Amino acid sequence: MNSNTAVAARIDTATQPTVYHVKSGGNGTVVAINDLCLWYGQTQALHNVQMTVEKGLVTALIGPSGCGKSTLLRCINRMNDLVDGLKITGEIRLHDEDIYARTADVIALRKRMGMVFQKPNPFPMSIYENVIYPLKVDGVRDKALLEETCERALKAAALWNEVKDRLNQSALGMSGGQQQRLCIARAIAADPEVLLMDEPCSALDPIATAKIEDLINDLAGQYTVVIVTHNMQQAARVSDNTAFMYLGRLIEYGETEVVFQIPKSSKTQDYVTGRFG
Amino acid sequence: MSAMADTIHMPAETSAMSTATVRRTDMRSRGEPALWSLGGALAIGIIMILGFLALVFSNGVATFIPKPIIVVTGIDGTVTAGEPFRSELFKPTAEELAALSPEWQARIKDANGYANRTLYRLGNFDIYGEDFRWVPDFAVAKFEQPKNLIFVERAEWGPFVGTVKSFTIDGAEQAFTGLGATAFEKAHADARDRAAAIRKLERGQIGAVNHELEQERLKVRKVEISAGKTSAAYKAAQDNLAEVSVDLQRRYDAATADVTKLREVDARNTLTLAEIGGREKTIPFSALVRAYAANDLSLAQKVGVYFSRWAEFLSDEPREANTEGGVFPAIFGTAAMTLLMVLVVAPFGILTALYLREYAKQGRLVAFVRISVNNLAGVPSIVYGVFGLGFFAYVLGGSIDALFYPERLPNPTFGTGGLLWSALTLSLLTVPVVIVATEEALAAVPRSMREGSLACGASKWQTIRYIVLPRAMPGVMTGIILAMARGAGEVAPLMLVGVVKLAPELPIDGFFPYVHLERSFMHLGFHIFDVGFQSRNAEAGKPMVFVTTVLLIALVTLVNATAIIVRSRLKKRFAGSQF
Ligand SMILES: Nc1ncnc2c1ncn2[C@@H]1O[C@H](COP(=O)(O)OP(=O)(O)OP(=O)(O)O)[C@@H](O)[C@H]1O
Ligand SMILES: [Mg+2]
Repeated sequence: MNSNTAVAARIDTATQPTVYHVKSGGNGTVVAINDLCLWYGQTQALHNVQMTVEKGLVTALIGPSGCGKSTLLRCINRMNDLVDGLKITGEIRLHDEDIYARTADVIALRKRMGMVFQKPNPFPMSIYENVIYPLKVDGVRDKALLEETCERALKAAALWNEVKDRLNQSALGMSGGQQQRLCIARAIAADPEVLLMDEPCSALDPIATAKIEDLINDLAGQYTVVIVTHNMQQAARVSDNTAFMYLGRLIEYGETEVVFQIPKSSKTQDYVTGRFG
Repeated sequence: MSAMADTIHMPAETSAMSTATVRRTDMRSRGEPALWSLGGALAIGIIMILGFLALVFSNGVATFIPKPIIVVTGIDGTVTAGEPFRSELFKPTAEELAALSPEWQARIKDANGYANRTLYRLGNFDIYGEDFRWVPDFAVAKFEQPKNLIFVERAEWGPFVGTVKSFTIDGAEQAFTGLGATAFEKAHADARDRAAAIRKLERGQIGAVNHELEQERLKVRKVEISAGKTSAAYKAAQDNLAEVSVDLQRRYDAATADVTKLREVDARNTLTLAEIGGREKTIPFSALVRAYAANDLSLAQKVGVYFSRWAEFLSDEPREANTEGGVFPAIFGTAAMTLLMVLVVAPFGILTALYLREYAKQGRLVAFVRISVNNLAGVPSIVYGVFGLGFFAYVLGGSIDALFYPERLPNPTFGTGGLLWSALTLSLLTVPVVIVATEEALAAVPRSMREGSLACGASKWQTIRYIVLPRAMPGVMTGIILAMARGAGEVAPLMLVGVVKLAPELPIDGFFPYVHLERSFMHLGFHIFDVGFQSRNAEAGKPMVFVTTVLLIALVTLVNATAIIVRSRLKKRFAGSQF
């Protein structure tokens, strides 16, 4: 892109306020993000993001690469705490609790959420141990419960049939797509309230992708899902609300059908019709 | 716009250049000289290491091969019998030259005034007063290898070279018919059993009595310190001591009576040897370690002698100021010390590295600590020895003695060098290695794995415990291996903090509390130094130096090999199939 147009776009997005037309799930909001700004050292990665995640719905985050989707997602379970030189202003509330408050219990917070990362990150242990890891850190020792959880999670992640005979083998010996599904199984093993997924299907074949989408649809209602995706069709298929981000700003946030069919922002229009990105 | 202008000009310039000059890569820009010097450096390094290993191994492995005994008759009629040890060129003096025959004078002149001479290991130190003798080639009338000559290894006075005249069993003189004769072998076996029985009595029963008596005395002394000399408790303790002493004395007398009886029997079983000149020497049968007819050995017998010498070397205690016998106490001491050191250095180093890398705020202070730790590795090891002696032995050990062992003062218990202080000193010396290796291993654990664990609701400690540490284990192991190898081979600081030439007792034995961390101990590295440079006869100790060095190298290699195998097993667990 020409540098002139980039500057123009930045001025453009900075001046234009976010467009909202959020579909309500009728159960209130789970996560409320309020005027969130984030800096990696000197560079600002998020600008005044303001949005709510509706309870029981699936929320998709879309936007061109580098626009801050992962950053925003990782703010929700404070995964960004590990980054040196990180600065955050604004607040994020889980129900009514400010998760960035001094008194907030980060570990308890993370126990209420599950996260699937952009790149699969299985632990150097057996498949079984990987899946039950969230229960293990909670101190669950009941073998029957652990085995049952393992099976349920692996089935939900469409992995059970492939690995049921090698549960005790190292997870590092699996293929990339299998590892990603293993991470999904791990994320849902402890029944999290909110499931954060960062491009969970990027390494998967269409069949596994369809299964994961089914899983997301099954989870919706009971759980709340926030999913980052580059696949427009997928966003359209699985999500109720879609947030479009651009250059660290939230451009448009609202009902998925509207965002994809009659977007209210011209930027969104350009992106979903494939004019840039 | 300017970029456009450049692209238009470019082709013209390039074509102009290509007509003027041909582009070439010269040797220097290809880096060939650099490659040669890199390869050369590697080659020199490898040659030096291989040369060193070849020297040590060829000498060490050959030491225990039984050598022939040569009888040299000189022109002047002197007879020398011994193992040829080594040869060298030397310059005979003018007087020696003048006394020689014209042929020899001519030969030496041809060789620029040099003549060859051979060093013979004579044995029979008790008779000759010397261990070795040089025999110049020009002084030799003839060489012989008589088959009846016998090489006798004795428990005292070193080897004897000569013949067996006769032997007595229970006072009755027997004719000697050969080393393999049943009567002779049985007498030898009996004598050995007897010697073992005597040693067992002295070490076991008499040792136990002495130990108990010492404990009782210490009890009295303790009461004296705590309650005073005039107290009733002191009186009672003394009465108790007197009572126990009677019993102990009885046991002591019984044991010594047994020993005396055995010694009397021993004195009636003797072996009479004669050296080449006919002088005789009678030794108790039990002093005979090994005898073989050096010039009349079959290959199987040679192999037998070779391996029995190795077995003795590995499992026995040293004799003859360490120049003969075995090195078992030194192996044991080295192993015990290294193990103890690992037990200290591994947790200490790993915890320090964990704190530095995972918990401490990465700022100037931590950077400073890290630099200091790295610099510690460069401090000369003798400095650690001085510190170990001054701080561990005198300050710490002295306080421990004053607090817990006041009854033994002024004899130090922990207040002098010992196994514990040696292990601690070496831990200090090797802890930087472990810290640096562990820190690197921790830093190499991918962040995605930590994030995965934290996202599952694990605490930081759980993440470290379940994910980071197992994953970093191969690297940590590398650090521990390096520390062990460094520690096992270190000698200088140990000389100050607990290693001795000859330790009367092993640091682990049958007396409570079984592991005696305060005891001084023997060490292979120090053994090499001692035998090679501190013994009565450096020449006699030389083979021992090589053998011990081979052993030390073998031990270090063994330890490293095991650790490397363990490490590669661990590594395999973490190697994925993912690309
Ligand atoms: N740890 C970090 N340190 C510094 N800058 C970072 C860091 N992580 C992300 N950034 C920057 O923040 C911006 C947003 O990154 P982010 O990973 O959120 O993008 P994204 O929308 O997830 O992109 P993609 O679709 O490629 O995953 C990028 O410009 C990136 O360079
Ligand atoms: Mg991303």
